[in-house]
Amino acid sequence: MKQLFTPFENVGKNTRLFIILGWVLLLVGFWFVSSMGERHLFPSPQQVWQGFVELYNEGLVVHIGSSLLLCFSAIGIAIIISLLFSYLSTVPIIKPLAKTLSKLRYLPLTGITFYLAILISDARTMQVWVLVVFMSTYLTTSLLSMLNAIPQEEFDHARSLGCSRWEVLWEVVVKGRIDYVIDVIRQNLAIVWMMLVTVESILVAAGGLGFLIKNSDKFMNHGRIIALQIVILAVGLFIDFALNYLRKAFFRYSKI
Amino acid sequence: MTYNMQNTLLYVENLSVAYGDKVIIKDVNLVEKDVVREGHITGQVIAVVGRSGRGKSTLFKALTGLVKPTSGKVLIADTQTGAENDAKEVQEGDIGFVDQKYTLFRNKTVYETMQFALRRKEMTTEEKHSQIMQYLKDWGLENEKDQYPCELSGGQRQRTAVIEQIFCSGHYMVLDEPFSGLDVGNIEDVKKAFDLITASHEFNTIIYSTHDIELAVELADSVYVIGYPTIEGERMDYGTIVKHFDMKEIGLAWKDYGLDHIEVVKQIKEVMLAS
Repeated sequence: MKQLFTPFENVGKNTRLFIILGWVLLLVGFWFVSSMGERHLFPSPQQVWQGFVELYNEGLVVHIGSSLLLCFSAIGIAIIISLLFSYLSTVPIIKPLAKTLSKLRYLPLTGITFYLAILISDARTMQVWVLVVFMSTYLTTSLLSMLNAIPQEEFDHARSLGCSRWEVLWEVVVKGRIDYVIDVIRQNLAIVWMMLVTVESILVAAGGLGFLIKNSDKFMNHGRIIALQIVILAVGLFIDFALNYLRKAFFRYSKI
Repeated sequence: MTYNMQNTLLYVENLSVAYGDKVIIKDVNLVEKDVVREGHITGQVIAVVGRSGRGKSTLFKALTGLVKPTSGKVLIADTQTGAENDAKEVQEGDIGFVDQKYTLFRNKTVYETMQFALRRKEMTTEEKHSQIMQYLKDWGLENEKDQYPCELSGGQRQRTAVIEQIFCSGHYMVLDEPFSGLDVGNIEDVKKAFDLITASHEFNTIIYSTHDIELAVELADSVYVIGYPTIEGERMDYGTIVKHFDMKEIGLAWKDYGLDHIEVVKQIKEVMLAS
């Protein structure tokens, strides 16, 4: 028992499962206790289940599909822009542009949406581009640090094999780091997923999880809000798991 | 053991490298010729020893064309022309370079690595395949053909890195501390690799650095000590060649390690400590 409270102590698989189970039971117990009585902060599990059933009947799956479509469209465009700037940041004339794009992550959402609203009239396109602008800055930041972390020996190795500078870029950075790009997407997915729900709730277009949250919030339906939060968390975690699985399945050498 | 010297294979004149204001190596001069022994194919094995921070790695990068010299030049034999003593200035890719970590492409299997190294050779796909398979067999890597670098042992990585450079660069190979961090078995593997390389062509030249002076004296036929020179009583803070031990001239090259070698080791250590 003492080992459970000792720093740096290694525990067995069964003990680890026991610890996780203990925490889950504690969380569920807390939820039950905190949702009992007249006045309570969280809705009861029954209310959440009820909320979930209602959402399902109102087309939850379609809304998840809409959110995922928005997420993948935005991530597709953003990753192309970010990769282009990051790879070309090895060229001295492009480097300042890539660094600037990375620094733009400190810009507030409101300023950007104002100018995008002038340029774009369609709400769905607007949603995509708000996400693209923001995701590009975060993805570029991660991709630039991935590039900086490549040891000089790898570049020298390629050069010693007679590779031209463009070949070095292609072999060492582009082909040699595809698995890292997937991991960069995976790591930034949490920000994207969080932003996506916010963007959907601000700019109402084709439904989506953000739109559902906003609606539920309006009517103070706490059961639905928590049910939606759980769905959003589960979908996010599933994408995270799927990307990690893809990376490991397709790139056997990837030991990130 | 009788031998004679023929074509100049490596000619380094007044080589200096500086990073900004910091001079790393200065006025490095060396000449290595093709050593010919009757009845033997004898490649050249050149060792560079010196204390840490004296510029060995920088010298190697300049020799391989990976760093541009601030002044001076590095010439190697141009074996493509067919004419004797034709020389050319070294370019990236002319001299194979195997670093201390045996860096390889992380996303290529051993076989793919070899294919990439042979990409510019004018050979058919079948010829390339048989050459690769022959080397993998000779170097004991047949079973690792489809493994990635992260799945190889240190010795296997090192052999892969050496074959890759043999395929790509021709007669010259620079190895930065190839014995560092290896166990007794792996050291024997590297020694065998040296034998395989030098026994396969007269012009094959291995240049390596090591902190193990005994190994330098045992394997090399030419040992250069790099260190800080003392000029007019003042020690400089850049590296240069402070002493050259020609093991052929001393009569210790290609011989089993013995008492005479130990005496040379002592002398080298003294030079190193003083520089």
